[in-house]
Amino acid sequence: MTSNTPILKVENLCTTFRRGGVALPAVRDVSLSVGKGEVLGLVGESGSGKSVTLRSILGLSRRYREVTGSVEWKGRNLTAMPERKLRRIRGRDIAMIFQEPMTSLNPLLTVGMQLTETLKAHTGLPRAARRARAIEMLDHVGIPAAASRLEEYPHQFSGGMRQRVMIAIALAAEPKLLLADEPTTALDVTIQAQILDLILSLADEMQMGVILVTHDLGVVAQTCEKVAVMYAGRIVEQGAVRQILGAPRHPYTVGLMQSVPQDLPPRTPLYSVPGTPPSLEALPKGCAFAPRCQYRSETCLTARPPLEAVAHGRSAACFNPIAAERGDAA
Amino acid sequence: MTQTVMEIRDVGLEFRLPRSLADLARNRPGRVVKALNGVSLELKKGETLGVVGESGCGKSTLARCIVRLYAPQHGSIRFDGQDIFTAAAKADRSYNRRVQMMFQDPYSSLNPRMTTGKILAEALRVHKMRPEGGIEGRVAELVDLVRLPQDAAGKLPHEFSGGQRQRIAIARALAVEPEVLIADELVSALDVSVQAQVVNLLLELQERLNLTILFVAHDLRLVRHVSNRVAVIYLGQIVEIGDSETLFSSPSHPYSQALLSAAPSLDPDDKGDAIRLQGELPSPLNVPPGCPFHVRCRHATAFCKTKVPALRPLPGRGEVACHHAEEIIENA
Repeated sequence: MTSNTPILKVENLCTTFRRGGVALPAVRDVSLSVGKGEVLGLVGESGSGKSVTLRSILGLSRRYREVTGSVEWKGRNLTAMPERKLRRIRGRDIAMIFQEPMTSLNPLLTVGMQLTETLKAHTGLPRAARRARAIEMLDHVGIPAAASRLEEYPHQFSGGMRQRVMIAIALAAEPKLLLADEPTTALDVTIQAQILDLILSLADEMQMGVILVTHDLGVVAQTCEKVAVMYAGRIVEQGAVRQILGAPRHPYTVGLMQSVPQDLPPRTPLYSVPGTPPSLEALPKGCAFAPRCQYRSETCLTARPPLEAVAHGRSAACFNPIAAERGDAA
Repeated sequence: MTQTVMEIRDVGLEFRLPRSLADLARNRPGRVVKALNGVSLELKKGETLGVVGESGCGKSTLARCIVRLYAPQHGSIRFDGQDIFTAAAKADRSYNRRVQMMFQDPYSSLNPRMTTGKILAEALRVHKMRPEGGIEGRVAELVDLVRLPQDAAGKLPHEFSGGQRQRIAIARALAVEPEVLIADELVSALDVSVQAQVVNLLLELQERLNLTILFVAHDLRLVRHVSNRVAVIYLGQIVEIGDSETLFSSPSHPYSQALLSAAPSLDPDDKGDAIRLQGELPSPLNVPPGCPFHVRCRHATAFCKTKVPALRPLPGRGEVACHHAEEIIENA
């Protein structure tokens, strides 16, 4: 399922904000790819550039940032594409789900209107067929009594139901790629499980690629095939989920995993990476993680480690990666 | 360790919604949110009691009742043997000092126009913890206690990160030397590694100061890690309460089972038994009759729809509110 050619190929994506003449590099040299039906997880702490990466792929609010590098979609580079053409890709080929189901729906329009609006923009369906399709979509994402709920407004739905509506809208035009920005962070674990199951089954059914941004490693373990770990705007480790979570090589990934209280004697101190992430205004000259890293050497402080293959199918950006153990396929 | 410091008995709380136009037109009374329906639990000296449940189940309402932000309509809360809602107790401010609350949102729970030093000094002055001359020294001690940099006292909340702000909140709660801390989703807004730092600090301070903590959170892994005992709440009722390790390793109530299996494991091969709950939490405006969980329960029978199960002890486990607990455990 995963060995197909990528549908989206991002290369050396850089996004820079400017504030009072100071350049803030939010995303630096991010390269990733997603294949048909493949789910890629993007993890990292707040401010590591996960969401900005997603937004840069779709060219959202370009006015405020400089984006370089290439986002290759069906042989075309989205970063160089004019807004007018991009609009035809957004929603039709590439759809996005935002983090907050409470604020991303228009409170003044019925759910049915918001669903059919997408269909009107991206498909040639006549009115009656659009309505039928909207009902079908709501039904598909598990909203009971879909036909009667089309006339309702977002405030009449609970958080989990609103997120389902968002997913229904995103998927209405049958996109080939779904960008999901923390789709379950605001929801309870029980609802989270339902929503993730839904996204997975749809990815499988519609052979849709998914980039799932999250900060919960458990979610990554349970839903993704590949994962990319971000720190201070860069990908520091990337590869198959089983490999990365089974035997992380980058010290930051190790720290992130150890912070999760699992399989620990109760009430013992939890591991936490010392220090705080660097501010974008004052990124260290060498490796951004070096000031917090217990394995740092002289080189780490002066040179930036490139993201290089450390084993088959996985790469890490570190001069002193953790030694391979537990039979990590080399 | 076994001394009971707080005893909560059958606490019930309803919020009345204002009558809507539709209510007026149909001449019916305004609707009622049943936030707590007979919650009973005890807090023992020096322990951490975790409280878990889905949003809207009444976790925070319970925490707020305990610090007297809400007054329950039924039942009683006793602290040190004394009812905290009698007129005499209400006039007595020492309860406010001895039981302190810390809130979820580190961005809105601190006054943005007061420096850390002022925030802490205010707490000290209100409860006359130190003579005026000793306040500055105590503030420095507190800043040190929660491991904030020494210059923190002169800074405003916006100059701190989320994790540091929660440390200020902890310092503010500890300033008045409380015996019980109510932590309402204290670390939920923080990143995992920052979460770990704050939790470590809390555990360490608890040891040192012999604090009793009520830890309300929705992160099950975290609750398991910090708690001695855990209570699972569903629609304003405790459905299971017991020793943390026992409850997490072998939950007895079908709701606890489903809730625990929904938490994603870090091991990609451990897909869990995935007992998926169908549907969502019913609205507390409309609590189902009988067992509140029966509409989502796989094991529900006709009996569950009529009779509310009482919390009863099970041998070798905690207390469970389920008519069919024995059969469910046996068949597990």
